[in-house]
Amino acid sequence: MSPSENQDESRALELSRQCVASKLPFHALPGDDDDLVEKGLLDSMGWVDVLIGVESATDIRDFGNIWPEGRPKSIRALADTIREARRRVPEEKPGEGPAARTLGGSEVSIGGWGYALGSVTVSADQIESECALPPNKLRDGAGIRTLQIATDSEDELTLGQRAAEAALEMAEIPSEKIDFLVATSTTFLNLPSFAASLHSRLLLRETSGALDVGGACVGLIYSLAVAKGLLRVAPQEVALVVASEVHSRRLNAPHVPGEFRGLFGDAACAFVLTSAADGGGHAARLGDFVWGCSATFASSLGARMAENAGLTVQFKGEQLAHAAVTQMDRILEILEDKSGRPRTEVDYFAFHQPNPRVVEILAEKAKIPLERIPLLSATGGNLGSATCGVSLCQALTDHRTRPNPSQPPLIFMAAVGPGLIWGGAFLN
Amino acid sequence: MGEVELVDMLHKAEVSADLEKLFGCELHTDTPGGNAWVDPGSATRSICGCEFKNIRFRVFQNAGEVNLRARLVLQSGETLNSLPLVDREWRRFLSDFIHRPSESGVSPAPEGFLNRSIWAKLMRAPYRFARIGLARGKQMEGKCWLMLDSLFPQPNAGWL
Repeated sequence: MSPSENQDESRALELSRQCVASKLPFHALPGDDDDLVEKGLLDSMGWVDVLIGVESATDIRDFGNIWPEGRPKSIRALADTIREARRRVPEEKPGEGPAARTLGGSEVSIGGWGYALGSVTVSADQIESECALPPNKLRDGAGIRTLQIATDSEDELTLGQRAAEAALEMAEIPSEKIDFLVATSTTFLNLPSFAASLHSRLLLRETSGALDVGGACVGLIYSLAVAKGLLRVAPQEVALVVASEVHSRRLNAPHVPGEFRGLFGDAACAFVLTSAADGGGHAARLGDFVWGCSATFASSLGARMAENAGLTVQFKGEQLAHAAVTQMDRILEILEDKSGRPRTEVDYFAFHQPNPRVVEILAEKAKIPLERIPLLSATGGNLGSATCGVSLCQALTDHRTRPNPSQPPLIFMAAVGPGLIWGGAFLN
Repeated sequence: MGEVELVDMLHKAEVSADLEKLFGCELHTDTPGGNAWVDPGSATRSICGCEFKNIRFRVFQNAGEVNLRARLVLQSGETLNSLPLVDREWRRFLSDFIHRPSESGVSPAPEGFLNRSIWAKLMRAPYRFARIGLARGKQMEGKCWLMLDSLFPQPNAGWL
């Protein structure tokens, strides 16, 4: 046995002794070869607790399950099992995982996606009446026919959970395989934060991370960028990205202008990201990201919590729409440069959609066909950070029905949010 | 009494939405991801019901013996990890699943079955209710470990 193997063995033995000792605080530590169950020191439940203790201390998933028939339930057998498991999955240093070896660690792809809309459909007429707006202002002015609103039993967590579970099911990845969650929500104002609360709700592993990202309507793009960055450091890991908004509850306040409140729906979207270790089998690879912040138009949209916890909104609709269209067109130009592909070759545009009218104006200005924009704001409303993501989900799903779905589509994403903060990305 | 009525009745008994009120005392854990325990002298009751928002199962198998554990998210968003599921109906259901003859000769893994097909049924159920009990503390150990005594809805043979 080499010196390093000797060291591994003694470390594994020591760890096994500690895990067993924690279950037997009032016993002298048994011998390394004693069968703990046969000797009556542990029952089968206690033995499972020891396995969970080792799993937690080593981060070896599903440690000792199934325990080989005939193998004693001893400290030495635990240590041997630790060493065997570590030999099966050699530790990979950042940037040296299988994906990094083949692709320089830079390729990250979407393995699954899903979205959930608020379950109640509300007509534009009804919203106009509730928000004291002139008849047809939403339908004719903004192009909104209906909104999808959360029921009383739905919130950011329930919608986020539904979207995440759909994405995990599509990716065929169980929730315990998720190494970190990157989450964004503007409307979830509680502590623990949205990421922490959703982490619990999804029952992710205690050793998987939970990170909140801001950015309002750009939050999903920023979250995808953060997750991609984390996966480049740890290419063997799996990330879950979730955006979720329930505007209907947050904006249902006396000082929120009706023409603002009436634009928003409730939804969540989720994506499972992995390093792309091979040339195929993925829906789309995340390309480059672009971002910035154009403070010139910062005053066109603002919101603040008043001392009584009410929400006050400052909203200059026309100025905001103009700024959004101009900025999103600029993002498209930058994405053309970054991807080396003109917008005429783009299969889908997954845009933030403040309202359908703004999307139509943008399509005309940017000279892109409307049918390449999955238009969800006409029936769902502005879904905040989830808009881009739901649009991306619809694009990826639609692509599956195309003649050659194994060829990933070229997708441009672009969004603007209060600030004016902006971001974009391309996928191919 | 049907299951719906039974769960209604159990809602009227001891229930808690969060960990602290489950047994009226602090819960402790020895390892991250491990089961929780309470100090035998500090608990004000030995069983309590709770609604849960999500559940995941783990199945530990060795030498023909099967241990079923569960993770739960309570109404408060707090989680209970690695709860031994000692509910007789659920243990029988798992045993029936493991021992049922398979047409292909290859049985699907019990954990995957529980966490996909059965989990989906639980999530669609109109109620999700668990009764958490305290195991009698072993002499000298000074710990009463939590157990998942009853899990509703109860499984039925039609789910297999």
